Amino acid sequence: MAKIVLRRVTKSFGQKVAVDDLNLEVEDGEFVIVVGPSGCGKTTTLRMIAGFETPNMGTLHIGGTLMNHVPPKDRNLAMVFQNYALFPHMSVERNLSFGLRVRHASKKEINTQVHEIAEMLGIRPLLDRKPAQLSGGERQRVALGRALLRKPQAFLLDEPLSNLDAALRTQMRFELKRIHAQFPVTTVYVTHDQVEAMTMADRIVLMNDGELQQVAPPETLYAEPVNVFAAGFIGSPKINLVSARIDHSSGGSALRCLATAIPLTTEIADQLRSAQSETVTIGIRPEDILPQSPMDDTPGRAVVSGTVEVIEPLGAETHIAVRVGDDILTCRTPPRSGLEMGSTINLSFDIAQATIFDGTSGLRLC
Amino acid sequence: MSADQLVTTEREVTAPAVVRKRRSLARPVLNVFMIVIGLVFLLPLLWLILASFNPTADGTLAMPHPFSLLNYHLVIRAGAGAAIRNSLYLAGVSTVIATAVSTMAGFMLARRKIRFKGLVLVLILFLTGLPITLLLIPTYQIFVHLNWLNSKFYTSLVLASMSVPFSIWLLKNFIGQVPGEFEEAAAIEGASEISILFRIVIPLIIPGILVAAILTFINSWGSFLIPLVLDANPSDTPGAVGIYQFMSANGQVQFGQLAAYSVLFSVPVIILYLISSRWLSGGFSFAGGVKG
Ligand SMILES: Nc1ncnc2c1ncn2[C@@H]1O[C@H](COP(=O)(O)OP(=O)(O)OP(=O)(O)O)[C@@H](O)[C@H]1O
Ligand SMILES: [Mg+2]
Repeated sequence: MAKIVLRRVTKSFGQKVAVDDLNLEVEDGEFVIVVGPSGCGKTTTLRMIAGFETPNMGTLHIGGTLMNHVPPKDRNLAMVFQNYALFPHMSVERNLSFGLRVRHASKKEINTQVHEIAEMLGIRPLLDRKPAQLSGGERQRVALGRALLRKPQAFLLDEPLSNLDAALRTQMRFELKRIHAQFPVTTVYVTHDQVEAMTMADRIVLMNDGELQQVAPPETLYAEPVNVFAAGFIGSPKINLVSARIDHSSGGSALRCLATAIPLTTEIADQLRSAQSETVTIGIRPEDILPQSPMDDTPGRAVVSGTVEVIEPLGAETHIAVRVGDDILTCRTPPRSGLEMGSTINLSFDIAQATIFDGTSGLRLC
Repeated sequence: MSADQLVTTEREVTAPAVVRKRRSLARPVLNVFMIVIGLVFLLPLLWLILASFNPTADGTLAMPHPFSLLNYHLVIRAGAGAAIRNSLYLAGVSTVIATAVSTMAGFMLARRKIRFKGLVLVLILFLTGLPITLLLIPTYQIFVHLNWLNSKFYTSLVLASMSVPFSIWLLKNFIGQVPGEFEEAAAIEGASEISILFRIVIPLIIPGILVAAILTFINSWGSFLIPLVLDANPSDTPGAVGIYQFMSANGQVQFGQLAAYSVLFSVPVIILYLISSRWLSGGFSFAGGVKG
């Protein structure tokens, strides 16, 4: 178990900067999940921690030791590769036991460990098969098993559940959490799955285009994204992003958008004074927008009116997309609300619950 | 790997019925043609086998009557057995050495960052084209100097060195085909470089190693000039030199015995082909190891 520290790490391949000036500390025993769009440098970051790539600049410490030039075999890490990398000429059993065999563990120990992990991952009947005779999900579990068999300083998992079906994925998520609770080994976990990120992570590391965007616990990332990208990346359905113009004119400030003017409290207005330009981007989570019946008039909530364009019933709730002027607002409504496509609807939201970003830099203002 | 699969499946799917029909008409004609060509090539072989059982064989193709093993008796008495044993030694030792050396060199050239690697590779490629005759005199002088003449072992070293450049190229390319992730996965599991070579790389390129080994073996087996010049010890004479000496020794050419000698000399290589073809047809695949 060990703390992993990356300081000002940069890695380029020719002209392409895959990871740009990355600073990251993963605490001893912490479960960190790295997310970001395809090609943003997640795998490259893991490969640098593993030792397959050497950073062009910056330092990597694991457990307090400078690791930049330590070969992978001496780092005592375990990794699940994005494409499994199972040894094709070895049976599942020999794949699983490889690490123990090269470390000359006793036959008895190897045997118990292999059967224990195979039991847990539900691959016991597959022990004698070759990787070519397995399904994608089975291969992925073998790859996971090979990594989990040892007790390394840290786990590096590159989309370890991507090929499993929904039920198995939920089960494996649960297993991984259980294992981590039992043996809190430092873990860096890459995924595209928001549910995995939100449910498993102690902290989420969000990257974009080789650059770190934000490192925060899941709730913080959701509630207080540092910029437009972070707000848009986390959350499903996606956050509503509406561009607005600040109007500091007579008798108090307001935001002009959605064919209306939303009055601002002085507190918010003051925070918006640091904006670089007149325009800002308002981020409103779909659950913060409520359908409003014409009767009630909640003070302090902005009300806009639009037409329903899309209705997506999901069972427990229904997502609707409403066109308001040039913008589309998505919101969550209770099921069986009786809405129809094309009907006119009033929506209300509280600007104080919204996140407001600078229109130029995309950084959060309040 | 996946591209190949794509191509074949595509071909299967899109092969139109018309093409298939035409092929079925063309096939018998083509087959007859190929059988005729095959027979022409088989004729000398047929002569060889028939003559080897015929004590009174001459240059013509004739059925021996009766079939007799006399030719075989005579050539073995004249030392064919010992010569073939010497050939086995030279070919076997040089194959083991050349294959081991080339596998390791190929691994390093395929995987390590080496300065001037391109230049080294070009030099090795250049060596594959160098004729033996050019090297033989300096090699002979070196052997005189080191007092290595008339030794089967040192002669096999030279035979090995003749095959090493080509084998390195072959094996470097085979190893280059192995996805690097296998080795990375092994490394992170704690395997040393030697361990990776023996546990991961070599098992995955067995077909390539077999090809290299067979080519070296056949090269060394048929090698004439090198053992002739470097090992004058009569008891070390290998088959290739033995046949030549046998042909010129008896004044008049004994066709039947020469044929028997040739058959004996070919048998080990044929056996080698038969054994290895089973392995080679197993193919070369990393199926299931990596996604996609
Ligand atoms: N060996 C390499 N040579 C050249 N470019 C590379 C290499 N490895 C990665 N890159 C580039 O670096 C960038 C980051 O790649 P990386 O594999 O880290 O992305 P990723 O975040 O893991 O993406 P994904 O989610 O699709 O797996 C990509 O633009 C990729 O093309
Ligand atoms: Mg990746």
